[in-house]
Order: sequence, then structure tokens, then C-alpha cells
Amino acid sequence: MRPSLIRQKAAVLPALVCLAGTVLAVYFSGGEFWSMHREETFFPAAGVTERRMLSSYFPALKGTAGDTEVYVFRGRENGGRLFILGGTHPNEPAGFLTAVVLAEGISVGRGTVVIIPRANASGFTHSDPQEGNPQRYPIRTAGGPRYFRLGSRLTNPVHQWPDPVIYVNPAGQKLAGAESRNLNRCYPGRAGGTLTEKVAFGIMELIRGERIDLGIDVHESAPEYPVINAIVFHESASELVATASLDLGAEGFEFRLEASPPNLRGLSHREWGDYAGIEAVLLETANASHGRLKGKPSASLVVDGKDRFYAKAAGLGRLFVPFPEEGIPLKLRVARHLAAIRALLVSLKEIKPAKEIVIAGFPDPAEVLKKDLGFFLHSPK
Amino acid sequence: MRIIYHLLVGYLTGHLLFFLFREKIFWARVSTSLVLVMFLLRLLLVK
Repeated sequence: MRPSLIRQKAAVLPALVCLAGTVLAVYFSGGEFWSMHREETFFPAAGVTERRMLSSYFPALKGTAGDTEVYVFRGRENGGRLFILGGTHPNEPAGFLTAVVLAEGISVGRGTVVIIPRANASGFTHSDPQEGNPQRYPIRTAGGPRYFRLGSRLTNPVHQWPDPVIYVNPAGQKLAGAESRNLNRCYPGRAGGTLTEKVAFGIMELIRGERIDLGIDVHESAPEYPVINAIVFHESASELVATASLDLGAEGFEFRLEASPPNLRGLSHREWGDYAGIEAVLLETANASHGRLKGKPSASLVVDGKDRFYAKAAGLGRLFVPFPEEGIPLKLRVARHLAAIRALLVSLKEIKPAKEIVIAGFPDPAEVLKKDLGFFLHSPK
Repeated sequence: MRIIYHLLVGYLTGHLLFFLFREKIFWARVSTSLVLVMFLLRLLLVK
């Protein structure tokens, strides 16, 4: 063999070794990333009357990453129509789990309840870059742990790309480009728009099609964020929310009431009311794993909500909520949401008796705190 | 839009592969292969 050929082969060999290493790294890391596309299984309650997809309300979503499950509970008697939206932001687990707990536990005697647990299904397929968040967190049930994905606030860029420099949302508000993938900035949606705008439009179609009376969008936010432990409401729901807050205070759940600003456009509590004419409400609790002051992100931080840095910040008066040493666990955050939904339903009955919604199996918030979330979830098998 | 994305990432991935085989310094090759991991994940629409 000629010496030059030997030299050439010697030069190619290390490159091939590096390339083999690259392929292995792509295989293993790609498998990890791809595992986020595996959906967690739901076990809807026996009382569910229809299992639909959002695309049945807006066919353009069929076969896309934005299509998602809709659980409809219709009572025998006519009454009010409630819509509960979880998973608008997949990195806010209490919003998602409140919808799951309800979908797996309730039956409706009067009125209609429509539940979407994974509003932004695409957002569940990836996690926020550079956050170091766990991909999943466990909830212990009687039959073993159930694992749920901790996704991203935004639609997966694999499903919607590129972001504009400045995003002008369907309601005309100018926002940062990445907000084009934030479902709660895209209402009332666009039928021919981006994937996130189509999902928002599909949700509006559902609200109009089901003739919803009260819509509740369930969220979480960072303890240092001012709109926290709050009910944000459209002006059409002001009486309802004021009455509910009195009941909530008596139960020991303090909520601050925040009127939806008329010039902050594209959010559910604004556009559901303006474009669909319903009483629109958004709920917030304090999630330490969501904030900037947290320590090491972990599944235990998501579930137990315990963080010494937040406890210290609370001691220094830097937060908008009390943050005890024992943290704000997921069961408390879900219990707060359930208490708020129940109080809103009681108010709806008081203010508009014809719109009463009778729900059996609604988890009692005090019981959720006592028995933990897993007690109200189906076993994984 | 997806075609444009693939063309863009595919072009840059090709450049990295070319560099990997042309480069003589070992650590430069290792660095290239690490960057290549990210580009391949994007090319395959995994991340």
C-alpha cells in the first residue's frame, strides 16, 4: 500500500470514530426527547357521555399535533354549561391535574360539563430549553405511581416554526415573537393561522358549539408574579366571582380578584368573554417549580413544592404569596383550584338558578388535602 | 416552511460533516461531532 493512502486512511479513521459517537449520542438523547411524545393515559369516569377530539369542533385540527381530547359530561336535566380548560401551559401541573382529577371522577346530573385536560397538546411534547426541568413527575395512587409529563409553556417549535420577530395576535396586540406559540395569547384564534392560533380557534368553536355559560381556564404562576392565588375575570363574570370569593374566604382559601384588563388582548379571560359572550374566568396558584428564584429543578419540587430559596424570599417580603418552609405542594394547588371551581358553581346557581349544574363525585378540596391527589386518580393499570 | 427548515439544517449539517473529515486536530473533531449531535436532532425533527 502506498504511504499517502495509509496517511489518508489514518486521517479518516478518527473522523469515523467521532461520527459513530455522534450517531450513538443522537440515538440515546433522541430517544429521551422522543419519549415526551408518549401521551399519558387518561381513565375518564364512568359518567362521561362523549369522548371527542377538538377536531370534531374544528376539522382543520384533525391529524395535527394540536388536536386534543375533549370529555363531555351531559346530565339528564338541562342546566348550565361549564367548560374547564387544563394544560394551556403544560409546565403548570396543577392546572392540568385539576382537569384530569375532574375528568376521572365526576358525573353530571344536571347541565353539561366539558373538560379538556391537554389544551396545548403540542406543548406537552417538549420541555423548556435550559430550565433543567424533569420530563415527568409521579403521583402515587393506590395501584402504583402514575407519571405525567411536565411540558413547556409554548407549542413545540418542531410543530410551529419560525417565530416572528414581533407577533401581532388575532386580537391585534403586539407581543414578543415567541408568544406566537403561547396558547393563552392567541385567542380568539385564526381558522387559517398558525397551529397555536388554530387550537385557540378550535377552543372558541367548542365554546360556541356547546353554548357554554361559564369557562374556567386553570393555570399556575411563579410565587414572585403579582397575579397569584388569583381569580382573573372578564367583566361579565364580576358578580359571579365576587360571590364566589366570599364563600372561598369562609372556607379558608384566600383569592385576590383581578379584573381582566380590556387592553390586554389575546388571553382566555378577555377573548372568551368578548368573542363568545360567556362568563370567563382564569385561576392561578403559586408553583415554585415555575419561578426564577427556585433551587435545583426536580420532580419533588413539582410535587412537594418545597424550596428553601422561596421560603427565604418570602421571609424577606419579596413574594406575593406566603411561602412556608414546608412549601406549597401540588395537592394544595389542585385543592385551591377545585375549591374555586366549586364556589363558582355555587354562585352560578345562586345568581342564575336555571343555570344550575349538579355534579356528583366532585372531589372535596379538604379531602384532597387529607388523602392526597392519588386517591382521586385512577390506578395506572 | 418545513422544506426550508430541512434545507437550512441539512446544509449546515453537511458543512459540519465535511469539516469533521477534513479537520486534523483531534479536539476540533470531537467538538464538531458534539455540535453535529444537535444538528442531527433538529434535522430529524426530534428536538
